[in-house]
Amino acid sequence: MSFSFSAYAFALIRRLSACCLLGLGLAAGAHAQQAVDANAAPNDFIKTVGDNALQALKQEPAAKRGDLGKINELVNQYVLPYVNLEKTTRLAAGRYWRQATPQQQKDLVQAFKGTLIRTYSGALSKVDEVSSLTILPFRGDPNADDLVVRSSLSQRNGPAVGVDYRLEKSPQGWKIYDLNVEGIWLIQNYRNQFAQQINQNGIDGLINALNQQNK
Amino acid sequence: MPHAAFTQEQEFMTSSTNDKGTTTPARWMRLLPAMAVAAAAAGCASVPNPTPEDPWESYNRGMFQFNDTVDKALLKPIATGYRQLTPEPARTCIHNIFNNLGDAWSAINSFLQGRGHDGINMLGRVLFNSTMGLGGCIDVASMNGAKRISTDFGVTLGVWGLDAGPYVVLPFLGSSTVRDTAASASTLAAGVSSYTPIMEIDNVPVRNSILGLAAVDLRASLLDADDLVNRIALDRYSFIRDAYLQRRKAQVRGSHVDSDAPYGAAGSLPDYSSDDLPDYSDDDDAPTGAPAAGAPAAGTPSTAQ
Repeated sequence: MSFSFSAYAFALIRRLSACCLLGLGLAAGAHAQQAVDANAAPNDFIKTVGDNALQALKQEPAAKRGDLGKINELVNQYVLPYVNLEKTTRLAAGRYWRQATPQQQKDLVQAFKGTLIRTYSGALSKVDEVSSLTILPFRGDPNADDLVVRSSLSQRNGPAVGVDYRLEKSPQGWKIYDLNVEGIWLIQNYRNQFAQQINQNGIDGLINALNQQNK
Repeated sequence: MPHAAFTQEQEFMTSSTNDKGTTTPARWMRLLPAMAVAAAAAGCASVPNPTPEDPWESYNRGMFQFNDTVDKALLKPIATGYRQLTPEPARTCIHNIFNNLGDAWSAINSFLQGRGHDGINMLGRVLFNSTMGLGGCIDVASMNGAKRISTDFGVTLGVWGLDAGPYVVLPFLGSSTVRDTAASASTLAAGVSSYTPIMEIDNVPVRNSILGLAAVDLRASLLDADDLVNRIALDRYSFIRDAYLQRRKAQVRGSHVDSDAPYGAAGSLPDYSSDDLPDYSDDDDAPTGAPAAGAPAAGTPSTAQ
């Protein structure tokens, strides 16, 4: 007990000094967006994408005030290019995907996009000036082409939030296709809702319902 | 058909109110008419494809509606007012103090689950926050990057092997399962829960005020999550149910806590190929990357070292 106690105290001091350094860094404002290498190691890929998004959010006063439109815009710009929307939508639709015509599939992906942006924004909406993204040590097979990168997002008020990203290797490099916030996977959480809508109103009904939400 | 469902639900509700009745029978009895009305309303709704985990969906949707009405009329306005009127530092302090009580309860449950590592971490967090954090007012442990591993007796029962049972929406309290309801009711009846230190207060008006504040604080802390659900859910009921069930399973599995379970081969990853998709594999990108994801939960409910 005394061990963990002194470890905490030590960590506090380290944390305080880190805060000061971070503060200086922000004051200098000399941060430039890093180039994202989609073929880098998965952890590095997520770290770069996440840091770029965090930095963009921190530099935008409207986003810091919690302006959702602005946060959505930044997520669209900094996160969405690295998300495989088609795969997320296809897996959320499950077996109904094959029943959809190619046009319906396209429309469905487009309609779901807004929801996905809002979901990723939700995971980032608590970002404040002390927020930082820590990538947890990678476990599992680094050569796999479907894997999970685990991270923890710290914030001023309250404990860090665990956010995991599920990635897939595509010819263009890594793409995120699923997101887990505190144990809840995004795709998993939409499967029943999709099935329910499709059973009641068909695939077009689902597309309409999603578009309704985008308004 | 609605009538059959109705009686079944009534039986369930009656037995569960009896469990709770040991503490405040009169109050729960007074709730019965309200619950009966909600259940009767629910009986009219037909659910074409019930989810296996939610066989009482029609009753649950009725109760969800009822809770939503109560929330909109009463709890949410109070919580919103509380958030607007109380300065942020005071609110954070109050929130942290209640969380500190919850953390102590989490620590005890981590030990009961055989997750000694989590238990020690949480105990350290409570001791640290109670002293350096001035009785829990300042969450210094989180400022140090310490994670909160929140758990409770329902999770403990799950770790011990008890099945969650059907999903059930409780009046006023919201999402639960049969197992989690039994856990809350029994710990409440036995007088051990995260609220025990508050219940120990002899001065009844003071005690009740603190309990009221705890409820308002809890609701206020959920305002943002509530907004998010409104923005992203196609169907609030399904969204909240599925999130609750997923979260509880993750807590029982302890995967986000346990860093020893390897990913890639872990049973903790959802396997999107496993449901009835006979010809999924001829898809352009077959799920080759999640080979063991269908394997039975890796069988190791994580006793982290």
